[in-house]
Amino acid sequence: MHPSCKQIRRDILFSSRASGHGHIPTSFSVVEMIFAAYGSMKHDPANPGWDERDIFILSKGHAALGFYCVLAQAGYFPVEEVKTFGAFKSKFGGHPDRRKVPGVEVSTGSLGHGIGIAVGMALAFKLQGSPRRVYTLVGDGEANEGSTWEAIMVAVNLGLDNFAILLDFNKSQVRSLQIHNPAERLRAFGCEVFDVDGHHVDEVKAALHAGCGTVKAVVGNTIKGYGCRTLEQNIFEWHRKSPDEAQLEMLLRELDSGSSAP
Amino acid sequence: MRRQFRDTVMDLAARDDRVVVILGDISHYLFNTFQEKYPSRFYNMGVCENALVSVAAGLGAQGFHPFVHTIAPFITERSLEQIKLDMCYNEFGGNILSCGASFDYAWDGATHHCYSDLEILRLLPGMEVIQPGSRKELDTLLRSQYNNGRPTYFKLSDHPHTIDLNVEFGRAVVMKDAGAALTVVTAGPLLANVLEACKDLSVNLVYFHTIKPIDTEVLARFRHTQFLVVHDGFGLREAINEMPGIRTWYHGLPDQFCVWYGTVHDIRRRIGLDPAGIRQAVTSFAAGG
Repeated sequence: MHPSCKQIRRDILFSSRASGHGHIPTSFSVVEMIFAAYGSMKHDPANPGWDERDIFILSKGHAALGFYCVLAQAGYFPVEEVKTFGAFKSKFGGHPDRRKVPGVEVSTGSLGHGIGIAVGMALAFKLQGSPRRVYTLVGDGEANEGSTWEAIMVAVNLGLDNFAILLDFNKSQVRSLQIHNPAERLRAFGCEVFDVDGHHVDEVKAALHAGCGTVKAVVGNTIKGYGCRTLEQNIFEWHRKSPDEAQLEMLLRELDSGSSAP
Repeated sequence: MRRQFRDTVMDLAARDDRVVVILGDISHYLFNTFQEKYPSRFYNMGVCENALVSVAAGLGAQGFHPFVHTIAPFITERSLEQIKLDMCYNEFGGNILSCGASFDYAWDGATHHCYSDLEILRLLPGMEVIQPGSRKELDTLLRSQYNNGRPTYFKLSDHPHTIDLNVEFGRAVVMKDAGAALTVVTAGPLLANVLEACKDLSVNLVYFHTIKPIDTEVLARFRHTQFLVVHDGFGLREAINEMPGIRTWYHGLPDQFCVWYGTVHDIRRRIGLDPAGIRQAVTSFAAGG
């Protein structure tokens, strides 16, 4: 595991413990994908409104805690602030609010929305003749939403080669409507697909940097709760749970020992 | 009214390169001239209304002034959450212009009718809601509101009235102040029928083209009277009811789908929104009935 991503997971656990709020497994599954995106984008934490920045949109807004900890690691704000997660006057809600959190470009939460807004922004940059790029991370649960596929069809039809979709394929929909073989589906919709290990930062980065003549879709094969065996094996129990002190110690030990499922 | 929409947007596009037209596979040929002149700012994006609104929000976020257009129920009721979250909650501006009004598509049946757009959209924080009644009103209100950075809805009809009014966003028009105890209120193209129905009746008549924000000054002026709202939609009465001290009655849509076909005039006649039906409602109400 990339050392920065291990630290981000530690930050997620400490923030969840301090705040009493969770969504840890889904936050763990997206860490490397968001970290790699910010490692590939033009952005400036000291100037979040920089008018030449690329855009990242967390379309699956419920992974906000992971997103906040990546932004903190990048320098947008001190990670200590994230420990207020979900509190009444906190900037850091269970889903990200662009008016409150530096670096958050779009307020998301309801699934199947962020990706459509991302398409509009990518089109805007094309119209401006700007080299700016747009990245959006969607979940496989989010891929149940018809609006997700509407947005993809429109993006492909517009030939938006400045637009990349990162799909967090953590198989959370095994309990309901599964998206079997998302790479094939995205390819059928006209995307150029890169099927990668979503927990391998360099693989994700390489896919994001690869040349592409149309909409890029990076399918990150991920594990919900990746990094802690207890989370990986009990994703439903831990969906929204916050650890108590003993559980925190246990999860930190698992994280440090690298006891992920192979 | 759609032709006026095109003509006004053509003119705005010539002055403002941030104007972008997004169609939901409706009115395409009407916009041929726009497409020819501004091909990079014209998109017939397809029959995907949720995406249309989200894309418009993304364009608005980056400083463009999108004009999203398709049939009323599909762009408003179907895409309510996109308007609510992608535009209003995110504070990304853009213009939504529907066609079909409440039941312009009479012949097509109730799937293409839209009774509640004004009402549901006016409840969204930050939203502006407009029902222009004539081509001139549309032209005036589009020019004044298209680039205000806020989500703005225009309910267009293919059956506008032809009464020549000077309008201003957010300001109702007092058509007649007879000092009467009854104030008849209406909005949009139905004004023509209401005027004809009330022409020799001793009632006050107030016309709204802007549903949100509602003109509270004019409402206050007539607060001491009884209000009869004559409208082919929901939303106007509810907006007026938010004014303290005003009590309204409603003559318009029944609590059922308009399941008949024919023309907009046939449906108006069936539900009492033709001049004769309105006159009967007003005189009956004025007589206490």
